[in-house]
Amino acid sequence: MNPIRKQRVYALVAILLGVSVAIFLVLNGLKQNLNLFYTPTQVIKENLLEVNKLARLGGMVKENSFTEHTNSLMKSFEITDFNESIMVVYKGILPDLFSEGSGVVVQGMLTEEGSFEASEVLAKHDENYMPPEVAKTLKYK
Amino acid sequence: MIPELGHLFLISALVLTFVTGFLPYIGAVIGRHVFFNYVFAISKFSFLLISISLICLIYSFLVDDFSVMYVASNSNTNLPFYYKLTATWGAHEGSLLLWIFFISLWKVLYLNRNGSEENFNIIALTIINQVVFTFIAFTLFTSNPFERILPLSPIQGNDLNPLLQDFAFTIHPPLLYLGYSGLVVPFAMAVAAMLTGNTDSLWCRFARPWVLLSSGFLTLGISVGSWWAYYELGWGGWWFWDPVENMAFVPWLVSVALIHSLITSEKRGLYRNWSLLLSILAFATSLLGTFLVRSGILTSVHAFALDPERGVFILAIFFYFICGSLLIYFFKNSKIREEATYNILSKEFGFLLNNILLVVLALSILFGTIFPLIYEAINVRQISVGAPYFDFLIIPFAVGLSFLQGLGLYLGWHSTKSFNFLIRLLVETFTIMIIIFLVLYFLFGEGNFYLLLSILAFSWILSGTILDKPFNTKNSKEIRDFLYYRAEVIFAHLGTAFLILGVGVVSTYSMETEVLLAPGEEFKLGDSKFTFKEIKTRKEQNYNSTQARLSVSTNNSSYDLITEKRYYPFANQMMTEAGIKTLITKDFYVTLGDELGEKYSFRLQIKPFVRWIWFGALMVAIGTFLSAYRQRKRNEKIS
Repeated sequence: MNPIRKQRVYALVAILLGVSVAIFLVLNGLKQNLNLFYTPTQVIKENLLEVNKLARLGGMVKENSFTEHTNSLMKSFEITDFNESIMVVYKGILPDLFSEGSGVVVQGMLTEEGSFEASEVLAKHDENYMPPEVAKTLKYK
Repeated sequence: MIPELGHLFLISALVLTFVTGFLPYIGAVIGRHVFFNYVFAISKFSFLLISISLICLIYSFLVDDFSVMYVASNSNTNLPFYYKLTATWGAHEGSLLLWIFFISLWKVLYLNRNGSEENFNIIALTIINQVVFTFIAFTLFTSNPFERILPLSPIQGNDLNPLLQDFAFTIHPPLLYLGYSGLVVPFAMAVAAMLTGNTDSLWCRFARPWVLLSSGFLTLGISVGSWWAYYELGWGGWWFWDPVENMAFVPWLVSVALIHSLITSEKRGLYRNWSLLLSILAFATSLLGTFLVRSGILTSVHAFALDPERGVFILAIFFYFICGSLLIYFFKNSKIREEATYNILSKEFGFLLNNILLVVLALSILFGTIFPLIYEAINVRQISVGAPYFDFLIIPFAVGLSFLQGLGLYLGWHSTKSFNFLIRLLVETFTIMIIIFLVLYFLFGEGNFYLLLSILAFSWILSGTILDKPFNTKNSKEIRDFLYYRAEVIFAHLGTAFLILGVGVVSTYSMETEVLLAPGEEFKLGDSKFTFKEIKTRKEQNYNSTQARLSVSTNNSSYDLITEKRYYPFANQMMTEAGIKTLITKDFYVTLGDELGEKYSFRLQIKPFVRWIWFGALMVAIGTFLSAYRQRKRNEKIS
């Protein structure tokens, strides 16, 4: 084989190897790390979300629904899409921009009792900002 | 009056960039080359107009001209003057103007370096002018910063987002934009090279300093952003795989690939077509990033207002430049046959692997970032791709790239004469590895597999770049020469090593807890004891603050930490300021939560080695800038 052709073969093998490893990593990674986004209606009326499966839930924090324990960091509030609402329980410190009547996205799991246990309340930079998922949910109303 | 002036100057710049960007081609088609003669002068003049336009906007901020809508929504009379200045690029419209200013700044810098009126330079300039033109048009038609609210203009403004009232934020966007927009120069040069048929090594030689400069500014911009997020967002994280972060990281990866491929093209005449394509790809990722960030179609913490119209406009710009340049590549570029040969164990092949790893990684990150859009288009369901996807993805690539970095200085062009160094390198690597492992073990306790991997990468790069050669050279002049002539590589590669070790240690040994404390109460986290001392309130120029003082004691020393909650009445926004104490081996990091009766909630964190991440990034930037400087000097000699 002439040297230039040999060189090309090496390069081609390296590229194919790199690309196939990447495809493997991408597909595998996506399979394990996709979090579907749900609205309260999808969870309660359409029963789309299974119990104990990691997911995102979004909507507005319902007015007058926020309560907090005085002895622990437990908090609860309701997320609504103005059709259905769902109780969310969260243990921890909430982001500064969390407030009743504004949009929110939480990540966590649906419990057997039908409430949503959030492991993360997503923070936003700006009080005027609405997560696109939430904006779309509310627009369809 | 001043805002109208700024607006007018921007419109004039639009006309001038059209004249210098498009007329020469129309002229060439109809056989009149007169327009070519004016490109240089008009290019300079349009830069002047854009600068004045930017100054007009800054002036409107400084004098609190709230009849300008953009000023009214992003500033306030109570804002200190330096934040009024930075508020100029605090939101979409003004940051676009800054972006335009930077592209034309690069244009003028290019002009000063390459002043001879040959076709190559003229074409490169027209391309940059086309870019400036499209972005001015975008600004004027969709996001005019000079728009007025008349006659009923407000007497007080809305205030700048409190998160952005901060030193790091004053420099983060300019640095990042400088890097982002700088990629326009190699792009323009690549197009000029293809159109004039000058795709030889000379093009690569002259393009390299520009790529290095952009890449250096991207490094600085990204790391300042990460540092800012660390102390300002109050979460103690330094990287979130947020879509906007990814869209800055992807062009960075491509620019690093381009730096290495240009070296090969210049020195050996290899991968020249690839370097052309990579220049296009670098600019494409930079435009794509602009599109994704500005259109607001991705869920991101970097909130710019949602506006689909803007998205369509930028997408059109993207397709014009990228499809245009690709068409030129396929039809106009005379494919160069590459004659140089090399062995598989050579620098050429090393650079090839480096490029495959960097570009494939960049594309995989890009894919993960836009995957939610693809998924939604097909399944009509919304999803997000979790951070573990990216963590999982980057590790194998980081391992591969670290491996190459350790070897880089030993591989020879064409072939590598001897591999005797390998044994030495391995011995040194394992010695350092054991030492670091023991030190970390005594400092913080047991580690895990990923920590070991990062220690291995660190030790390997450390031996390969700076330890082995000086140790095995008797002649002190040779050592000095090595350190002097290889300084840029040593800085850049060693920087990555520090960064990798920092990431490994901080992800393994970080400790975090959330607790409720009353004044006087204490909490033990690891070996460190946090005590909540007192709480008090304070009033500042544009916010009210509740301050908590804590002390942390460890190894017989004690440090004070102050964390606060600020309320900004004009923006009606709460903000948390973290209390951070930095020691050599770790950061103590506390954030104040809510008040619950007598008690307050706190998030307490210990972050070992977190500073190494930004220290490493800074070293990478220094190496990159040094390399840009030296390449420029070398270029001056031959021209």
